[in-house]
Amino acid sequence: MDRRDFIKTCGTVAIASMIDVSFFSQALAQQKDGMFQAYKKALLVKQDGSPLREEDIKPHVNYIFFYPYASTPCYLLNLGEEVPPLEIKLKDGKSYQWTGGVGSKKSIVAYSAICAHQWSYPTPQYSFINYYPPDTPSETTKKAGIIQCCAHLALYDPKAGGSVIDGPADFPLASIVLQEEDGNFYAVGVLGKDQFKQFFDTYRTELRQQYGSTAKARELVDKCIVMEVDKYVQAVVRC
Amino acid sequence: MITRRELLKSAGVGAVALSVSSQPVLAAAERVVKIEALMPPPKGNRVVVCGGGWAGLTVAKYLKKENPNIEVILIEQRPVFFSCPISNPWLADLVSLDFLQHDYLQPASKYGYTFMNDRVIAIERDKRRVYTTKGYIQYDYLVLAPGIRYNYSAWFGDNRELARLTKVNFPPAYIPGSEHLALKRKIHEFEEGDFIIVVPPGTYRCPPAPYERACMIAEVFKRNKVDGRVIVLDPKEDIAPKGPGFRAAFEEVYLGIIEYVPRASIKEIDPVNKVIKTTAGDFKFTDANISPPHQAGELVWMADLIAKDKEGKPTGWADQDPLTFQAKADPRVFLVGDVISPALGTAYPKSGHQANAQGKIVAKIIASRIAGKEAPLALPDNTCYSMVNGSPQEAIVINVTYEYNKQENRIVPRARSINERSEALAKATYEWARAIYRDMFS
Repeated sequence: MDRRDFIKTCGTVAIASMIDVSFFSQALAQQKDGMFQAYKKALLVKQDGSPLREEDIKPHVNYIFFYPYASTPCYLLNLGEEVPPLEIKLKDGKSYQWTGGVGSKKSIVAYSAICAHQWSYPTPQYSFINYYPPDTPSETTKKAGIIQCCAHLALYDPKAGGSVIDGPADFPLASIVLQEEDGNFYAVGVLGKDQFKQFFDTYRTELRQQYGSTAKARELVDKCIVMEVDKYVQAVVRC
Repeated sequence: MITRRELLKSAGVGAVALSVSSQPVLAAAERVVKIEALMPPPKGNRVVVCGGGWAGLTVAKYLKKENPNIEVILIEQRPVFFSCPISNPWLADLVSLDFLQHDYLQPASKYGYTFMNDRVIAIERDKRRVYTTKGYIQYDYLVLAPGIRYNYSAWFGDNRELARLTKVNFPPAYIPGSEHLALKRKIHEFEEGDFIIVVPPGTYRCPPAPYERACMIAEVFKRNKVDGRVIVLDPKEDIAPKGPGFRAAFEEVYLGIIEYVPRASIKEIDPVNKVIKTTAGDFKFTDANISPPHQAGELVWMADLIAKDKEGKPTGWADQDPLTFQAKADPRVFLVGDVISPALGTAYPKSGHQANAQGKIVAKIIASRIAGKEAPLALPDNTCYSMVNGSPQEAIVINVTYEYNKQENRIVPRARSINERSEALAKATYEWARAIYRDMFS
C-alpha cells in the first residue's frame, strides 16, 4: 500500500501531521471489510482545557464528548474492569476486531452516542440513549451495565464492543478507538458501521440551528471536551 | 379474470349504465377508468406497494436501500401522510398538526421510488396487475399494506343509513384524516354531558388507543372545566394492554371524569336518539366516538387473500405466512401491517411500530428473493407509549419482543412494561414517534 492508497483507505481528511501512522497501520492490518475509519487524532480534555487523565474517569459515570465531528456525540465509560478485545460479527456478514478497553485496567471504552437503530442522540435538551450502571437497572428491561435507547428500547453491551443485546437495532454502536500516550487519551478513529452520513442527512435542520451552519457541525475536531452527560443534557431520559 | 365491465363496476363507474349496456356511457366511463398499461412490462425486479402507511412506506424505502436497482412503485390514495400514532395527544393540543403530517415526496425523491397518488380499484393476481383509476401496472412482487377498514355491517347488517349516520355523526377516528379533525372539533366544542368512547370489539388497530384517547379527551374537559364525563364502553373484561397504568390515570388524574365500563358488548346503537344498548346496560349520550369492528383494508379483500375460519367464513384478516408475511395463496404477494392475522400462537399488535418493523423484514425478504437468496428469519418487535396525563405530560410504555420456537412451531412474546406514568416517558413518547418519522421520511 503506498501513502496515497493508505490515506485513501483511511478516508481521512485530517492534516497528515495529526495522523498516528504506526497506530493506523496496526489497526488497519487487523481490520477487514473497511470497518475502521481514521479521523483526526483528538486529545480528550477536561472542561478547563487540561488533558483528561485516567483518575478523572470515574467508574460507571456516563461522560459525553464530541468526535470525530464537532456535532457527533460519543460516550466515554470506565467500566471498572478489564474489557478484552473481541471480534464483532455483523448481520450483513462483515466483521471487525473491536480493540477493547484502554487505561491501566483496560477498562475505558468509548462509543458513538448515536443510536444505531433510528439515530436518536443526546442533545442539549434531552438524551434518550444512556448508560445504565450496574446498580441502576433499566425500569423497563431490568438490565444494568448496558447502553439503552428509550425511543424503541435498543440495548447495547459496552463490554462487548457495543454489540446489540436486545431490541430493534441491526448494528452495534460504532466504537470510538481510543489511544493512551503518556497518561493522555486520544480518539483516533471509528470502528464499525459509520452512520455519520445518515446522521448529517437526517438532522441537517437541527444541526444548522445548533451550530450555525452545516459546515460548523461537520468540522473535524482535534480536541474533545469531556463532561458528565447531565452537565450537557437538560433531561437525561431513562426508562 | 376481470372483465372490462366488472372493472368499471368495481371502480364504481357507470354502474347504472352497465345494467343497460349503454355504449356512450361506457365510453364516457372509460375516459375516467383507462384500462391501459401505465408502465412498460417489468423485468423481474418490480415491486408494487399498495398503501402508504407505516408499513408500506417502510417497505418502499428499505427495498431501495437493500438494492437501488429494484423498481419500487408506492401507490397511496391520500395526498398527505397523517399519523394515527400521536394523534391522541394532538386531540388535547399537546402536539401540533405539523408533528403528524408529512409529505410523500421527500422519501420518494430521496430513495428513488415512484410515488403514485392514486386509488387501487382492482387487483388481478393471475396476470400480476394492479389497476388504479389511471390504468394498470404489472408487478413481479406485490405488497398489500392498506391498513384497516370498518365493518359497520357487523352491527347494522344491510342498513347502510344507520351505518352512515353513526359514522358521520360519531366518527371512529381510527383511519386518519377528516374523522380525526371531526373528533377534535367535537371534544373542544363539548360543553356538558356524557361523551362515550366505544372500544372496538375483537382485534383492532392500536389496542391501547381508546384508553389513551379517554385520557386526552378528559384532559380537554378538565382544562375547559366541562361538566361532563368520558364513558369508556369496553367489550373486554378489563383494560388491556397497560391496564394498571391506564387504571391509575383514570382513578388519580381524571377521577370523576373518566368512567370505565367493562364487559360492554354492543347490542344496539341508535345514532338518532343517541342511545347505546350494551351487555353492561344502556347509555344515553351527548356525543360519542364510536368504533365498529375492524377488518383488513379493502385491498386484501379485493385480492381475495382473506383468511377463512373452520366453517369457511372470512375471519376479516389476511391469510399470511406468519414468518415471511407472504400470502398463503400467492407467494408473490406480501401482506404487511395491520392487515395480518394472528399466527403461531401470537397476535402481533396492530401498531405503527409493528408495521415499521414488519416493513423492514419484508423488504429484506423480497430483496433477497430478487437476488435469488433466502433472507434469514427475523421477527418484528413492538414498543408502544401511551400518554395518560396532559398536565404535566406523563406516559406509560409496553415493549414486546418475539422469538420463534422452532421445536414447537410457535412465536413466543416477551412483554415488559412500565405502568408508573412519568414525564420522562412522555418525552420518550415523542422521540419514539420522531425516530420512526425520521426512518420513513428522511
